[in-house]
Amino acid sequence: MPVFHIDGEPVEFEPGEKILSAALRRGKIIPHYCYHPGMSIVATCRMCVVDVIDLGNGRPAPKLQTACSVDAAEGMKVDTMNQKVEEGRKLVNEFLLINHPLDCPICDQSGECTLQDYSFEYGSGKSEMDYSKRVYGWRDIGTFVSLERNRCIQCSRCDRFTREITGTNEFGMFNRGHELTVDTFTDRTMTNKFQGNMADICPVGAITEKEFRFKRRAWKLKKNRSICTGCSTGCNVTIEHDRNEVFRLKPHENQNVNKWWMCDEGRLTYRIMNERKSRINRPLGRVGENLEGISWEEAYGAIAERVREMAPLAQNVIALTDTHASNEELFLIQKLLKDGFSSDNIFCPLPNWEQIESDFFINTLITTDKTPNRAGALALKIKGDAKNAKLKEAVKSDLKVVFVLGNPFETEHDLQQKIKTAQLVVHIGAYHNSWSEIADVVLPGQHYSEKIATYTNKQHLVQATDIAVKALRRSRPEWQILSELAEALGQNYDFTNINQVFDSMSRETKAFSGLNFDQIQSNGIELAQTAKDSGKKLIKAAA
Amino acid sequence: MAEETLVLFKNIRNPKYNKSLAGYKKAGGYKTLNKVFGMKPDEVVQEVKESGIRGRGGAGFPTGLKWSFMAKETGKPSYLVANADESEPGTCKDRELMLKDPHLFLEGMMIGCYAVGCHHGYIYVRGEFFPAIKTLIDAVDELYADGLLGPDPMGSGYQLDLTVHSGAGAYICGEESALLDSLEGKRGQPRVKPPFPAVSGFNGCPTSVNNVETLACMPYILSDGGVDAFKSFGPQNNTGTHLVSLSGHVNNPGVYELRMDVNMKDIIYGIGGGIRNGKKLKGVIPGGSSSSVMTADEVDVLYNFDELAKINTMLGSAAMMVFDEDTDVVQLLHRITRFYAHESCGQCTPCREGTHWSRNIIRDFLNGNGSDEKLKRLDRVGGNMLGTTLCALGDAAALPIQSFVKKFPEDFRKYYAN
Repeated sequence: MPVFHIDGEPVEFEPGEKILSAALRRGKIIPHYCYHPGMSIVATCRMCVVDVIDLGNGRPAPKLQTACSVDAAEGMKVDTMNQKVEEGRKLVNEFLLINHPLDCPICDQSGECTLQDYSFEYGSGKSEMDYSKRVYGWRDIGTFVSLERNRCIQCSRCDRFTREITGTNEFGMFNRGHELTVDTFTDRTMTNKFQGNMADICPVGAITEKEFRFKRRAWKLKKNRSICTGCSTGCNVTIEHDRNEVFRLKPHENQNVNKWWMCDEGRLTYRIMNERKSRINRPLGRVGENLEGISWEEAYGAIAERVREMAPLAQNVIALTDTHASNEELFLIQKLLKDGFSSDNIFCPLPNWEQIESDFFINTLITTDKTPNRAGALALKIKGDAKNAKLKEAVKSDLKVVFVLGNPFETEHDLQQKIKTAQLVVHIGAYHNSWSEIADVVLPGQHYSEKIATYTNKQHLVQATDIAVKALRRSRPEWQILSELAEALGQNYDFTNINQVFDSMSRETKAFSGLNFDQIQSNGIELAQTAKDSGKKLIKAAA
Repeated sequence: MAEETLVLFKNIRNPKYNKSLAGYKKAGGYKTLNKVFGMKPDEVVQEVKESGIRGRGGAGFPTGLKWSFMAKETGKPSYLVANADESEPGTCKDRELMLKDPHLFLEGMMIGCYAVGCHHGYIYVRGEFFPAIKTLIDAVDELYADGLLGPDPMGSGYQLDLTVHSGAGAYICGEESALLDSLEGKRGQPRVKPPFPAVSGFNGCPTSVNNVETLACMPYILSDGGVDAFKSFGPQNNTGTHLVSLSGHVNNPGVYELRMDVNMKDIIYGIGGGIRNGKKLKGVIPGGSSSSVMTADEVDVLYNFDELAKINTMLGSAAMMVFDEDTDVVQLLHRITRFYAHESCGQCTPCREGTHWSRNIIRDFLNGNGSDEKLKRLDRVGGNMLGTTLCALGDAAALPIQSFVKKFPEDFRKYYAN
């Protein structure tokens, strides 16, 4: 690759790449507001000025150039720190601040605001503007975001977002000159499903998330990389939390999956991470009609004893799981059934789903499959079809032991009634549901924000979550529950961490063969062998 | 004593001239076009290059060079857009041409289209020019009726269409890339350059945007012997005649066609008839409101691109605004700055905030709230717009502020001295 120099450091660039983009890739910070790698270049904020001391032909540029719009060239030499550049940034920052309300103490962006950061660096601390500032009213522009136009620095990212990324065009720039402002057309509220991204890309506090307003100062939030499990797309996110409470999800750039974006529905899944009422907070055992708290040892002991008493045949044991379960969980419950009962009666609801095809990439993020691990279940060859014919066949026999993971077949009451008659129903899950009501033993699992687990998204990419918040004291990750349960039932699994489960999975299954947990890291890895998904249907995006 | 040299105004200065197609043809019109259709487009561009004509819109970029930059063999159509959005304060030359001799301009436009390989030219006319728009539309209709426009003008087989498009009256739409955005139906805002319009212009196709007067020179340049005659009208690099819009406190304001080697003094005191009421000259804004102001001492200079650039101002659109000793310079600057504050598109920071801020500061002077500090601040704010913006409007707003503060500081002090 050709090379140019930034502050004396050689930086590689692709032909046609701009100075700023190459610099950012290299980790070199050049202050900017209007530039966003995913959108067109307008070069209007003028903050990213740099001094091109050699254009590559031995001559300097006549004046400061905007790094976002100038192509890098072989032999080019760029100064990003000299006095001329600092002056240039200072004057832009002064201009940006003269009409800015400086209401940082009550602004949600405070702490993650680039205007604040750069003002700290380049501002003078004293304004020479002694006239009244430009004032606009607050506007309710959408279901997910609110607009405080006084804070706007007219970088036009939001305008370009609705034009170039979502293609919905409901947002635009109004008036001109000093009065230039942003708003929705005809004062309507926005309806696109990606409004949260506008709050993300807004460099100041003009567009903020309604969900997050006034809840917590940004600098208090701790951040953990994870993935969104709201649907089978598996957008990369950071879970932002404080004092064990999750406040929001923000998309994390992954060019293979979600680029810079995620949908509002995914962002709202933060709510369920804070859900406590319906959580199962300790192991429960049935005593007569009621479920009563027991210890883990008691629970495992009781299950082991009952199983020993019944000595079930393969057809007497089934496991039900949903595709919210991670790869490891699915693998372990499959393994448990096979090793412990020689049974492969594991069923999973796999309804048909639709994938949107669209000219605008962002629309393809939304699928109708709202579970994160359908592809993983298919890869592990777990049975399941729309009508569940095989399942109905299976439950006809004399059921003795039923393992239920999560909340599968939640609407099929006949099935639940039938399973209720089984002699031992073990429910493993994080939340109370109709299964925990009929179960004999309930084992508390964890939500994905509380554990490490891998999920296979619709592109057959295996990605991992991370522990963001502390789990409930007496809950355990499902992989651990399953492995301990297997030990109680006489298997010698001895898994002490998730890596071992994953390694075992990659050894024993074709789909995951050759994959290493450590490789997943930031961008995920593709399955070695992908299963065909017959339930997928492509639909065209509504115009 | 300066005298007019009639090239563009040959017909207009003829009192018997009829501006219709028949009248223009009678005066020898569309003969050059016929000749041009017999040449290769490259030859046309070459002749225009040789003539040395520089764009009359304000920047003074050599037209032949601009045309030769047009991207070729892109698989896309090429476009020629006539910039008739004449809105630089003080300028009124294009309006004269469009209103009084539309066919001269249209012939030039057609020559230009042929030279750059454009089959559909657009004329972007300033929205407020209602009579000029009507005249142009009528003239284009005449051309279609005559077959000069359409599938086969003059039997050349070169399909050519022209569309007259009226803007909505924004100064910024005179900037070529903003004009193209506006023409495409978007908000008129200047684009990032590069890519220049010659590579990616109207609808992403190679486009040349030329001023009306520049195009109106084409019939003369490409007529027999035109190049040499054109070159003889001025010093090197400043060839041809140009239209000077003379306004302000002179006895005979108006649009005059002058050679490029005429002294400014001659223009003001000769053809302009001197300062009205026998007053003394105070200063001149030489090239539209965006050029740096000149004091009375500086006007002994040839009125062309290079000579004015030497004394740090510019010819611009050759709109000379003369003001006498009684003029309140602060009010004049306030008026100019108010214009730029109103016309800034607002997309880029220094111009959006700077034009408005500097206008506020000048208003302070007018309200008696001036101070030395504010004068310094005005100069600083103006200077901060210079060369820091996306398009030239920031410079256009900054240059008058800086030059007025520099050249007439006493006038500002008068407002707060006592």
